[in-house]
Amino acid sequence: MADRTKILVVDDDRDLVDILTMVLTSHGYETVQAYDAPQGLTKAEEEHPDLIVLDVMMPEGTEGFHVVWSLRNRPEAYFQNVPIIMLTAIHQKTPLRFYPDSGDGTYEAGEYLPVQGFVDKPVEPRDLVSEVERVLAIDREP
Amino acid sequence: MDVGNKQHQIPETPTALPATEVLIGRIGWLIRLRWVAVGGVLIFVEAVRRLLPIQLFPSRLYTVLGILTLYNLTVWLVFVRLRRVRTDAVGSSRRDTGAVVGGLARFLLPRVPPGVNYYDRPAARAAVFASCQIGLDLVFLAALLHFAGGIENPLRVFFVFHVIVASILLSRRATYAHATLGLLLLSAVALGEFSGVLPHYSLQSHWRPDAYLDPHLVGTQLFLLGVTLYVSAYLASSIAARLRRREVDVVVLSRHLAEKAVHLEAAYAEVSAGEKAKSQYMRKVAHELREPLGTIKTALGVVLEFAPGAMANRTRDLIRRAHHRAGELAEVTQELLSLSRARGSRATVEHTTLDPGEVSRLVLDEMRPRAADAGVVLTVQIGEKQKEIMGDPEGLADLMDNLLSNAIRYTPRNGTVTFSVQVAHGKLAIEVKDTGIGIPQEDLPRIYEEFFRSKTAREYSPDGSGLGMAIVKAVVDQHQGTISVESSPGHGTRVRVELPAAG
Repeated sequence: MADRTKILVVDDDRDLVDILTMVLTSHGYETVQAYDAPQGLTKAEEEHPDLIVLDVMMPEGTEGFHVVWSLRNRPEAYFQNVPIIMLTAIHQKTPLRFYPDSGDGTYEAGEYLPVQGFVDKPVEPRDLVSEVERVLAIDREP
Repeated sequence: MDVGNKQHQIPETPTALPATEVLIGRIGWLIRLRWVAVGGVLIFVEAVRRLLPIQLFPSRLYTVLGILTLYNLTVWLVFVRLRRVRTDAVGSSRRDTGAVVGGLARFLLPRVPPGVNYYDRPAARAAVFASCQIGLDLVFLAALLHFAGGIENPLRVFFVFHVIVASILLSRRATYAHATLGLLLLSAVALGEFSGVLPHYSLQSHWRPDAYLDPHLVGTQLFLLGVTLYVSAYLASSIAARLRRREVDVVVLSRHLAEKAVHLEAAYAEVSAGEKAKSQYMRKVAHELREPLGTIKTALGVVLEFAPGAMANRTRDLIRRAHHRAGELAEVTQELLSLSRARGSRATVEHTTLDPGEVSRLVLDEMRPRAADAGVVLTVQIGEKQKEIMGDPEGLADLMDNLLSNAIRYTPRNGTVTFSVQVAHGKLAIEVKDTGIGIPQEDLPRIYEEFFRSKTAREYSPDGSGLGMAIVKAVVDQHQGTISVESSPGHGTRVRVELPAAG
């Protein structure tokens, strides 16, 4: 591969974004940062990263969750396929899988969140790196 | 907070004005009684004519009875209207409680203690109506007596009935007035016959034919009747007054109770609002703490793993400790969040359709490595195809997580933890059994307290916040389920949770 793998990190905690960027950069990845949901969507559009690490941004809202659906609902193949890793506290995974209703009909009740991986918060750097490797490996399978 | 400003209105109890309802009800009773009297007189006249050697003048008596019947019909029609107006008034606008009750009504209506809105206008109207009826009834009785022997007729004592009716419906003064009216009417009959103004219809009974002309005899009879009527009036109205006071007591008492209930309700609303505010505060604080704590822990983790190797051992050790403690704190804040979430009402926590098997699998993904690390055999029994239930998936995951974490944490190496999830008979049953250290019997009642850890638990493992079972209990309560814990120290613990699966 000519280009380095590009990873977009989205979290409203700037310190965490910078720390995760450090970890990923030190493992040879190129990184792009976004500090809220709209910025995350814009960056995804502009940069077309190979992977998105996305904070669930709960419980203020379910912003991260809506970011996932906004991306997946776009017609372009890229947005439907770009692998996403969600950063969640352990049990936030559960409601994400059973999330009842979008309210605007963009997805159906009980639908699974279309993401490829989860990393628990507080993030252990080692866990993040191995999850990134795992997801990218699957993504590169023919 | 709107709770403080909310006006607590004392509910208008229908018992606040019982007298009017009672009075109107009793007028109906009086009308029914009058029908009985009409029938009674009819039967009486016919029986006496046939059975006793007495001379009667049925045609005159029947004329009186006919008029009485017409009169009672009229009264009944008026009564029906009065009652309907009453119902409409109650149904539509507020009635004019404690309103102007005129002088006549004040004389007629029984007196009540001050401070009780006991009468309203319809009551006054009903009292006048009742009083007129009793007066007319006395006239009818006097007429019947006149046509059946006048002073000779022993049934003159029937005036007592009217006095008793008056005492039940009206004031003591009004009762005496009606007794006086009865006495005056009979006196008028007796004097009229005595003076020859009225004809005398002799019964031809054991009385001398000219007895009605004997002033001593007539005087004695009238005097005795007077005594009878006034004594009856006194006794009956005393009893009625006592009953009425009791009635008022009941009214006052029920108003007090209604007020108390309103105050209690307000107090309860305040307490629960406070409780809610406390819970929200706890949630906010925990949430504010969780994020930075997580970031601190991650940062320290990065230092430990990726910092250049030339870090002094001492420094590395300090950072490792800080990393560990930050992790503990992050865990406690997460548990506090779970707890406040589970204690939130159904309004704040959304219950959705969920598959308990799916939630179990997610939790088990976390638990399997932990059990392996602890050298504990984790046996899982999850029903093949789980039915979906209504519930809070996050709460349910918290519940399973905490039960399993406890079981694994307090079970020594080579022990076993059995986890089973079944939906059957309208219930979701979750059971966690372990061969761990157990809970001392005396500590069992306290396990749901926040931050409580039994001495044996603290000695066995330094980890654990003591919030786990509080979270479990809160989730169970939120789902209106049940939980039972059996434990045998040194042998193990069995926790069984049942949540309603229907709806």
